[in-house]
Amino acid sequence: MTGPRIALAVLWKDIRLDLRTRDRLGHMAVFSALVVVLLSIALPTPTAETRPWLPVLLWVVLLFASLLGLTRSLQTETEEGALAVLTLAPCDRGWVFLGKGAANLIALLGIEVWTAGLFSVFLGLAWGPALPEAIWAGLLGGVGLAALGTMLTTMATSARFREFLLPVLLFPLALPVLVIASRATAEALDGRSVPGLWWGALALYDWVFVVIPYLTFDYLLED
Amino acid sequence: MSAVETQEVEKRYGPVRALRDVSFSVPEGTVTLVAGPNGAGKSTLLRILACLTRPTSGLIRILGRDPFRKDGPALRSELGWLGPEPGLYADLTVEENLAFVARLHGSDSGRVESVLEELGLAAMRHRRARTLSQGYRRRTGLARALLHQPRILLLDEPWNGLDEEASERLTKVLQRHRARGGTVLVAAHAVPAARELADQVLRLEQGVLRMLPGGPREETHG
Repeated sequence: MTGPRIALAVLWKDIRLDLRTRDRLGHMAVFSALVVVLLSIALPTPTAETRPWLPVLLWVVLLFASLLGLTRSLQTETEEGALAVLTLAPCDRGWVFLGKGAANLIALLGIEVWTAGLFSVFLGLAWGPALPEAIWAGLLGGVGLAALGTMLTTMATSARFREFLLPVLLFPLALPVLVIASRATAEALDGRSVPGLWWGALALYDWVFVVIPYLTFDYLLED
Repeated sequence: MSAVETQEVEKRYGPVRALRDVSFSVPEGTVTLVAGPNGAGKSTLLRILACLTRPTSGLIRILGRDPFRKDGPALRSELGWLGPEPGLYADLTVEENLAFVARLHGSDSGRVESVLEELGLAAMRHRRARTLSQGYRRRTGLARALLHQPRILLLDEPWNGLDEEASERLTKVLQRHRARGGTVLVAAHAVPAARELADQVLRLEQGVLRMLPGGPREETHG
């Protein structure tokens, strides 16, 4: 049980750091709030035609907020050379990925709830009956973003232009999540049932971006 | 059995050959000084032995096993590493940093107490790593490296940033580790204490091992 123990230790350590410093969550929350307030001022009052754009904007805000959170997570590991501690963990390093990924997911889910609330207050997005399917979209989309982000953050650790490299890699690879999750959210808000194929595609995406880094984290952690 | 053995290890960073055909062996229960000027490849060699980076080619054996194959996870629990950075989370306290490493390695929580005492860190236990002086950060990093009682210690310039008292304490810690049968590889330059302590010296120059291990406390040409 070495691997699960280590994954839980990494997860708990990241949660403790998040709760103590509130750097990561604070940056993401303030960023989301600023963008939503700006959108509420700049956008015309949503009409039946323009309302379907709101879920897309929501997921774009989440994507940028997740980038902020991932960058902060990377700084925590590199600031005093702590990444070496994780690299030396006596287990398959895939478990370290699962611990880091779970911590990133929890932070992202928190920001999803916060941002969804902001959209509701400032842009009049009524979740109501759409909530169950919106939660599924948030969960499946969140897993994909967190897994992909954790993998790319680790890859970028020793890169020279890592602050530049991370978005350049993250945004195109996160496009399927952005497209499917925002469409699923829009369908749910419209009162239509989300096609099963979309859920399947999101789940497949999550599976791919959990399994690939799990199997390759040994190499990703080494420089 | 050799604690560490390398055969024709080479490490390239693009066109730069950081290590070239480095072959040596380190017996268990000894202290080996890895000496050489800046840029000689000392840190690269130690990082390879600590499984933090892979060699481009060549063979590595740690306690008779290949650390880059399936034995890697088990072998990593036998390694204690202190690099140029202390390997700490800046916003965790000294005690929390050590407790985290104890959980990673499944060490008894009593070990945290004993390394805090051993390295004179008990009074600093509730201080966040960010607020420590350079010297105390190094000490905490050393405590982290020692916490899980590794058989092999890999230390890169561990005397840097330490005051006289901490340097003496470090030297004693390394002597005790050797006395218990542990092995130490330490990269340092111009540190008399390191020369005093070393059973053998490996000298690297531009990635090439110029001198090979000889008898106790002497440098011999290869």
